[in-house]
Amino acid sequence: MKLELGNFNVKEIEFGEKTAYQKGKLTINKTEALNVVYEDDHIIDADLKIVKPGDRVRLVPVKEAIEPRYRQGGGPVFPGVTGELLQAGKGQTKALKDMSVLVVGKHWGGFQDGLIDMAGEGAKYTYFSRLKNVVLVADTDEEFEKREQQKKNRALRWAGMRLAEYLGRTVKELEPEEVEKFELPPIADRVCELEDLPGVVLVLQPQSQMEEDGYNDLSYGWDTNHMLPTLMHPNEVLDGAMISGSFMPCSSKWSTYDFQNFPLIRKLYQEHGETLNFLGIIMSNLNVSLEEKERSAQFVAQIASTLGAEGAIVAEEGYGNPDADYTACLVALEDAGIDTVGVSNEATGRDGTSQPLVAMDPKADALVSTGNVSELIELPPMETVIGELEALGRDGLSGGWEDDEELGPSVREDGSIIMENNAMFCGDGVTGWSTKTMKEF
Amino acid sequence: MDKKAVVYINQFFGQIGGEEAADHPPEIQEGAVGAAQALAAGFEGKISHTVICGDNFMSSNQEEAVSRILEMLEDIDFDIFFAGPAFQAGRYGNACGAVGKAVKEEFEVPVISSMNEENPGVDIFKKDIYIFPGGRSGAKMQEDAGKMARFGNKILKEEGPFPADEEGFFKRGIRHQYFRPDEKPAAERAVEMLLKKMKGEEYTSELPIPEVDRVEIAPAIKDLSQVKVALVSSGGIVPIDNPDRIQSASATRWGKYSISGMDRLDNRSSQGFKTIHAGYDPAAADDDPNRVVPVDALRKYESEGRIGELHDYFYVTVGTGTTVGEAARMGREIAQDLKDAGVQAVILTST
Amino acid sequence: MANLVPVAKTTGANRIVPTISIPYPLGDPKTPEEEQWKLRYSRVGDALDALETEIEDQKVFQVS
Repeated sequence: MKLELGNFNVKEIEFGEKTAYQKGKLTINKTEALNVVYEDDHIIDADLKIVKPGDRVRLVPVKEAIEPRYRQGGGPVFPGVTGELLQAGKGQTKALKDMSVLVVGKHWGGFQDGLIDMAGEGAKYTYFSRLKNVVLVADTDEEFEKREQQKKNRALRWAGMRLAEYLGRTVKELEPEEVEKFELPPIADRVCELEDLPGVVLVLQPQSQMEEDGYNDLSYGWDTNHMLPTLMHPNEVLDGAMISGSFMPCSSKWSTYDFQNFPLIRKLYQEHGETLNFLGIIMSNLNVSLEEKERSAQFVAQIASTLGAEGAIVAEEGYGNPDADYTACLVALEDAGIDTVGVSNEATGRDGTSQPLVAMDPKADALVSTGNVSELIELPPMETVIGELEALGRDGLSGGWEDDEELGPSVREDGSIIMENNAMFCGDGVTGWSTKTMKEF
Repeated sequence: MDKKAVVYINQFFGQIGGEEAADHPPEIQEGAVGAAQALAAGFEGKISHTVICGDNFMSSNQEEAVSRILEMLEDIDFDIFFAGPAFQAGRYGNACGAVGKAVKEEFEVPVISSMNEENPGVDIFKKDIYIFPGGRSGAKMQEDAGKMARFGNKILKEEGPFPADEEGFFKRGIRHQYFRPDEKPAAERAVEMLLKKMKGEEYTSELPIPEVDRVEIAPAIKDLSQVKVALVSSGGIVPIDNPDRIQSASATRWGKYSISGMDRLDNRSSQGFKTIHAGYDPAAADDDPNRVVPVDALRKYESEGRIGELHDYFYVTVGTGTTVGEAARMGREIAQDLKDAGVQAVILTST
Repeated sequence: MANLVPVAKTTGANRIVPTISIPYPLGDPKTPEEEQWKLRYSRVGDALDALETEIEDQKVFQVS
């Protein structure tokens, strides 16, 4: 399967008369764009803002990040979600680079929402401070979850995707500034040279913790909770087959932008044919019951063995009970004679002394660690807040709190904040961005 | 640097006396006394007081000793606390750890110690105080005290962070996130690690899985009256001439000695048994070896039918300074001998 | 049977009975002989009981 990503490097974004892209400048007709958002009448109040790296802006509660794309030939950017089902990962898809669409709640946050600082000390805690962002700030009539800690954020997330597709259409007729090719021949056909290179699979564990619909990561629109581990082509993940859910405490989250740009996939592609034979992706999940965890681990090890993999990288979207799946997969693979490396974050507590992973095994002897969800972060006030700062303390964001005997409230009167890394939007960069590690102190 | 330190040392390094002074109760003196001077040499601040306590007093009355020491420190103004270096001395290491931990909790100052990696105090207290790896004996005093003093200076002058792998102290089990100065992203780190692992090359996991040293639990004996029981000890009790030349410290040899026909172990002055263990005051053990290897008590239980039989031999080595590796080997060898003799249960005494 | 119980635990000992000190685990020389004997007999008895006790995890036994 061969995918061409046609990239356009966005240098500037501004509002203007006509929504168009020209030589690095993306212009947006705000009214027209908002009409796209209002297509869902659950959205009752929406606005658009533009922020860029260095702006003294704090965004909270952030629910999703999406890269604007256009699928050449038409068709939904997210098959099975924003339109009909079709095979992703082949043909040409155009992308607006160096930017994302961010979805921010006008008022109401939740456990799974997060925070982004575009400048200052807080900027380093998330990848999205490096991008130019078109920010959708909106409120919905989803009363049933307004005061709930656990939100599906359905209207807002789908509005974000519509907006991303709308912006992507600006390059429909244009020649890409650069083209990236992603091609992997069928495994059985791979040339003799490749047979000497060790076969490697990337095992992905997207979050699928909720039983009820509307919260979990989706694969072509299908709830990953209702999946058994499945062989997927890396191009599919890069090309819109997976979308983020609305559940995972935010620093552990893989946003849709993360899926579209998956650094681990890109790195394995880079090494393919040189140091390894990138066999493919085993898309697993993170269900709650012990039997489901064991079943998934079993399937992962079996698929990897059947493919003849010599090595596997396992990435976990989460912490807590998902650590059991993480460890189970690593152990099952090692027991099958496959060398593993795991990528995840840790939860060592505010004082750093808690057990890093809930379940551990000495066979998991090669791990990359991208951060501590419980790390305390204190930040000064920011001149502008997009969304609602109070949400951090009031709405049960995973890294914020109303009040604490020792630390006081997360959101102080002067606008300064104290929070846990847990609420940094996709902060632990498990998909491969993270320049953080964990050390003993 | 305008900072003050208090130092804790034992009776030997505090120049009170040797093993015979191990029962010395805690006391505090002004300035750097005895071995505390080795710390004064490297510490940029001033050592205002030295606390001295006998190792035995501490181990037999830990709560009392610690509480007295905390009281002594109540009115003293100090910024940092040093304990040791304790080298390989188990009681001293334990004392440094117990006192250090209490001082840290009570006064919230940094506490720094140094111990040899074989010192049991390391595993017990490394989470509570900074412990630097040290030598096996006082010969390393200058070096070990130097490391402690230098880190003391650093921690009082600088902001941190102080990663364990850069500073050198024993990992404390405190893990925090850290932005890599080289900004290498996780994707690269993961693929590089996998390539190394598949090639059989060395790599370092970013999350070492902590090793839990556990021993499989043996099922209980259903009925001791049917069973042969043996005594084993690390207390160094040997026949009067130490026939096997078991070392008094850092032992690599064990012995097996007949008690056939004996109701109890005869003591040293009767030319019976003695202790050769260098890690504790031998007086009580020499006077009555049954205090360490309770042959008399087991004989009584044997005559009462509580146990089936007391094995004809007891097994012994010396615990002090003995490495984990050597102890494990000796344990395996003794276990084999016991099994060959049909022994099913063991009482292991330690000092 | 040991005085430094945490050390015994760290080495992985599963059945642990505390003794009264390091240099004289089972008999304080400052007490009358009869008392020393009683203590020794009693603690060794506790150890025998421990040998006959099923356990799930490391256990420090109460002395009688």
